[in-house]
Amino acid sequence: MNEIILDDETKERLKRLVLERINVMPDTLRIAVGSLELTKQEVAAHVREEDEIGTQMIAMELEFLRDLASGAVYAGT
Amino acid sequence: MREHKGGSALVVRPDHELVTKYLCVWSEEVIVMAQKKGINTLDLKGKKASRKEFESYVKAHNPSVIFLNGHGNSVAITGYNNEPIVDGMSALSGAIVYARSCDAGRDLGPVLIGRGTRAFIGYSRKFILGYLPDKIMHPINDPIARLFLEPSNLAVTTMLKGKTAAEAHTRSKEAMYKNFRRMLSSAATYEERFAARWLWSNINGQVLLGDSEARM
Repeated sequence: MNEIILDDETKERLKRLVLERINVMPDTLRIAVGSLELTKQEVAAHVREEDEIGTQMIAMELEFLRDLASGAVYAGT
Repeated sequence: MREHKGGSALVVRPDHELVTKYLCVWSEEVIVMAQKKGINTLDLKGKKASRKEFESYVKAHNPSVIFLNGHGNSVAITGYNNEPIVDGMSALSGAIVYARSCDAGRDLGPVLIGRGTRAFIGYSRKFILGYLPDKIMHPINDPIARLFLEPSNLAVTTMLKGKTAAEAHTRSKEAMYKNFRRMLSSAATYEERFAARWLWSNINGQVLLGDSEARM
C-alpha cells in the first residue's frame, strides 16, 4: 500500500473516518486476520489502539476508499 | 481413474482452530479434483500437517505442486498448532507453491525462489477471510467465506490442470475480482457489500514470484 506522510490532524481525521466506516459493519459478519477472529467492536478497538492489526485495518480501508474514488476498483485486476 | 503423468501434489491443511478449519474444509475440493485427475496427492490434514511429515514427503516425492494452508508471517508458514513447517531454510526445489497464508509473499517467497522453488504464489500482506459466525459449524455452507476461498482455490486447481503459474495467478485473481464486483452490486447482501473491501485487499496482496511459465 502506498505510504503517504500525513500531519497528525489529518491522520486523526482519517482514523475517525475509518472508525465510522467500521461502525456500520454488520453484526452478522466477522473478519479473520491471520489467527485473529474479530467482531466489529474488536476491529474498532484495534483501530483506536493503532496496533499492528489496527494499522492494517486503517490502511486497508483507506486503500479501498482511494481506489473507489479513483475508479481503480472498476478497472479489473 | 486415469493415471496422471508428471508430478505429484502435496496439500497441507491444519485444522486446529477456526480459521484453519475453514481453510481445511475449503481445500477439500482441490484434493477431490486432484484425485479425479489421477494426480498422486498427499493430504497432510489436521495433526499430519507437521514439519516432520511435510519434510519427509517433500524429500521422498519431490512434489510438483505444494498447496500450503496455515497461518504465516513474512518468514514462515505454519502447520498444525502453528508449528513452523516452511521457513527460509526449506528446500522446495522444483516445486510450484501456493501459500494461503499471511505475509509469506513478502520475504519468505523470494527466499524460497532463491533456494530453488520454481514459482510462488502467495500474499504480501495479511490474508483476510470474511465469514458468518452462524456458519462456523459448517464452513462449506458459508456464503461469505465462499467468496474468498473458492477463487483462491483456483490458484491450485489451475496448476493441477497443467496451466502455468501465471495462468493460475491470473485466474484466481480474476475470479476474486468477479466476486468483488458482484459484492459491490445492488444484488449483494449488506454483509457481502461490507466484506468486499477485505477481498479487495486480498486481490491487491496476491503476488506471483519466480518463473511465471512454470507448470506441473
